[in-house]
Amino acid sequence: MADARKSMIKIKPKKYKVGDTVKVDFIVIHPMDTGMKKDKKTGKVKPAHYIDSITFSFDGKPFTTMKIWESISTNPYFSVKYKVTGKGKITVDYTDNQGEKNSKSKKVKPKG
Amino acid sequence: MERRKFIQSMFAVSAVAVVSTPSMVMAEDAKKASKKGPNDMPFDEAVKVITGGKEVKESDKIKLKAPEIAENGAVVPIKVEVDYPMTEKEYVKEIHILNTANGNARCADVMLTPANEVGYFSTRVKLSKTQDIVALVGLSDGTFIKASASIKVTIGGCG
Repeated sequence: MADARKSMIKIKPKKYKVGDTVKVDFIVIHPMDTGMKKDKKTGKVKPAHYIDSITFSFDGKPFTTMKIWESISTNPYFSVKYKVTGKGKITVDYTDNQGEKNSKSKKVKPKG
Repeated sequence: MERRKFIQSMFAVSAVAVVSTPSMVMAEDAKKASKKGPNDMPFDEAVKVITGGKEVKESDKIKLKAPEIAENGAVVPIKVEVDYPMTEKEYVKEIHILNTANGNARCADVMLTPANEVGYFSTRVKLSKTQDIVALVGLSDGTFIKASASIKVTIGGCG
């Protein structure tokens, strides 16, 4: 169960300079089960399984933290804005209610 | 004599067994009743938990973008942008997305810092039926403002 999930960080726009405000998008493949839906094959209710906390950080310094509940869609998408201060790495750490921990990071390379 | 004692002890053991079983069943029932999740609360209660009973003002500083009609309730895009400065002294501290008719009122709590530069958050939510979406924004001076949008849901997305 502890295998890394498919996830992606996108920085928009693609070309940016120091001092620009960019959009940081984060998408992860996750079922986000509410604990109310039935499995069509077995007829049993699927247990709740959803991401409950997310932390966006730049070079180890967190700049946005989130608490998430079941009402967020399957394969969730989150987007925040961030002011580029220099070269570094944006990391997103996320955990779900069944104790799964994962993280994803992307390099920040401002031009000019 | 020995036989009599033996029978008496048998009765005593069975009596203990009879007394103990119903109480165990009761304990299991109590467990089921307390199985409610930490987020299983109606909208008004959720607002109270977040604000701590403080007054919440309607404000046009919040731009809440949501579709008027959502054909699929399982994926409804929501976008919140707050027109407020983001400096060390005054900034948008938190953005909460709430729904009014799902069983679990809270969708997301987002804690921002001045490093974000803009009070902005976007995501996709599940809606069970036609209802309102509320963006509750907490500012660094401790006050709360809100904006809401009603969404017509054609097919519910909660099960």
